[in-house]
Amino acid sequence: MRFHVVKRDSCPLWKRLALYVGAVAAALVLGGLLLLALGVNPVAYYSRMFTMGMVGNKIAYKSFENYLKVFVPLVLTAVALSLAFKMRFWNIGGEGQFILGAVAASAVAFQAGPVLPGAVTLLLMCLCAMLAAGLYGTLAAALKVKFGTNETLMTLMLNYIALYFLTFLGETKATWNFFLDPTSARPIFVSFAKTVSFPRIPMGKFGLNVCVLFTFAVGALVFVYLRSTKQGYEIAVVGDSAGTARYAGMKVNTIVLRTVFLSACLIGLAAAFKVGTAGILSTNITDDVGWTGIIVAWLAQMNTAVIFLVSALIAMLQYGSDVAAATVSQVDSSFANMLQGAILFLVLAADFSTRFRVVLEGKGGRKHGA
Amino acid sequence: MGPEMDKLGVVTTFLHNIVVYNIPLLYGTVGEIMVEKSGSLNLGVEGIMAVGAIFGYIVGCYANSLGVGILTAFAAGALCGLLFAVLTVSLQANQNITGLTLTTFGLGVYFFVGNGVKAVRWPAMNDYPAIKEGFADIAIPGLSQLPVVGRGLFDHNLLVYLGVAVALAMWWYLRYTRPGLRLRAVGENPASADSVGVNVKRMKYLHICLGCGIMGVGGYYMGLNMSGSFNSSCWINGYGWIAVALVIFANWNPALAILGTFIFGFFNTLRVSGSSLAAAFPGPLGWLAAVPSQLYQALPFLITAVVLVLTSVRKREGSGLPASLGLNYFREER
Repeated sequence: MRFHVVKRDSCPLWKRLALYVGAVAAALVLGGLLLLALGVNPVAYYSRMFTMGMVGNKIAYKSFENYLKVFVPLVLTAVALSLAFKMRFWNIGGEGQFILGAVAASAVAFQAGPVLPGAVTLLLMCLCAMLAAGLYGTLAAALKVKFGTNETLMTLMLNYIALYFLTFLGETKATWNFFLDPTSARPIFVSFAKTVSFPRIPMGKFGLNVCVLFTFAVGALVFVYLRSTKQGYEIAVVGDSAGTARYAGMKVNTIVLRTVFLSACLIGLAAAFKVGTAGILSTNITDDVGWTGIIVAWLAQMNTAVIFLVSALIAMLQYGSDVAAATVSQVDSSFANMLQGAILFLVLAADFSTRFRVVLEGKGGRKHGA
Repeated sequence: MGPEMDKLGVVTTFLHNIVVYNIPLLYGTVGEIMVEKSGSLNLGVEGIMAVGAIFGYIVGCYANSLGVGILTAFAAGALCGLLFAVLTVSLQANQNITGLTLTTFGLGVYFFVGNGVKAVRWPAMNDYPAIKEGFADIAIPGLSQLPVVGRGLFDHNLLVYLGVAVALAMWWYLRYTRPGLRLRAVGENPASADSVGVNVKRMKYLHICLGCGIMGVGGYYMGLNMSGSFNSSCWINGYGWIAVALVIFANWNPALAILGTFIFGFFNTLRVSGSSLAAAFPGPLGWLAAVPSQLYQALPFLITAVVLVLTSVRKREGSGLPASLGLNYFREER
């Protein structure tokens, strides 16, 4: 029996949801079997992971605050990347852009923090981080537009150049290096001034970091921007076919440059939120959000609302497994990486059935050619 | 031994280290060249090398055989390749996403398996004489007697020679054989290759698995280089990403990859031994001590970025970049 694969025109939402939920469930079952093999009760482990240790915990609000600290940079980075991906510009330089944003924000925090009011400093941090990250991203876009340089490979290289720049700052004791603690003999990063920290809105014991509100606001703006503005429409057309866009009289190069700049800017904003909340720089400041954000944006098919949902789940997986690892010593956080990988592989496989259909050819079907 | 001899000894050690610590890069690069020549951009090199390393090392030790270790590492890498091929070739999944996921997943497997085995009993390389002897240096008669470069370049372990042999064999395969030509055609334009009767799917599956297997062996080599001491930092330590860069630097040519490995390896070794060179030759090389080590780490990526720009400025003339790299081939859309 022969078969061939054809594209689907559309796939009903319920069917897609069912497939994705099924894929996640299958991955969890696989992980559960692995846990059983290790002598760990999978139900206990998973319930601890998904509740993130918040049930029956007196300081559950702390857990939730920490969870949001994982969630905010991830979702903002993924939303930012989705802008470029929608245009089929493969910006995998999220890591590098995030790092430059974080360094720029920290530089402002050290230089302006002691003299300016906290709110002004924080605003300046956001602006400088956006500018630094934005320009770094635009570099790859400009090369792509001007010379056709492969943006996937270029942004990949720029990631590592930024990373080693950050490690250089973090490991070099020198009088000019204001990023480090001058009182310590070993090179360690120094904290920002106390005033340089995003305020929290108290809600009982729980404090809601304003960055969370800003993140949702940015998400809403991007949603509207992509859906209802001329520029958003242009992004969609360029993503569909650059040739069509050109034929329709759109300035494709300008659109690419503008969108990638905007995308990288938002990654810079995510970095400013991150350092402005942590109050200190570190060499692993990104927490790999530049990588994870790519996966989130793709899984959500660049839909802003879905990105929020997927980010919430991935952040839960990452933070929850850290919490669970603290109580179950046999399983460390490498399990979360494997589980995340398994979930993604299965979702990618499920994705196939939402886009394609396998058609079996009976005996009386076509034989050769058309 | 006089001070002059000592100085030459520093140079010899330097050359020796360039080879020993960087040939794993050659495995990763050559494997990735094979995968990319089939038109697939696989960003999972780091994870695949890690998976090859952990299984190769553990199984090799338990079997007390370097050969078994190499074969296991190859098989583990090839299995990762099979996963990549099923998802991207058959199921049309995005290559970037699948590759990045493979890296996360592979590193997860590395630590999960490593920590699991460590909790029971970690095999120490010293306890396995066959592995230690198999990995010992073998001097090439004659050449290894040359002054300075002799011991630097021609007195190495089996995996060094194997790596160079694999690279040369692949260069020959891609350039002079029929299947090699077909493979390049698939990477350039799968639809045309398909129309003249090349089985695109089979070509992709085969070469993705083969290439990933080679990466796995490179990972195993890195584990042996670390004498199999397992701790919180992964043996691969970013070499997979340098390999992705080196593919571009070598212009998708396995023979040039050998040269590229030496150039990248030169900087990588300067990072470690720059200070001893500076001490041996304070006059001409004293400045080496002042270069920050992070610059050496960034150099492979900086150089590759420049190469990327330069080749794109000159357009595609002479570039080995497969034209359909990163694009899935969907037959019905031909």
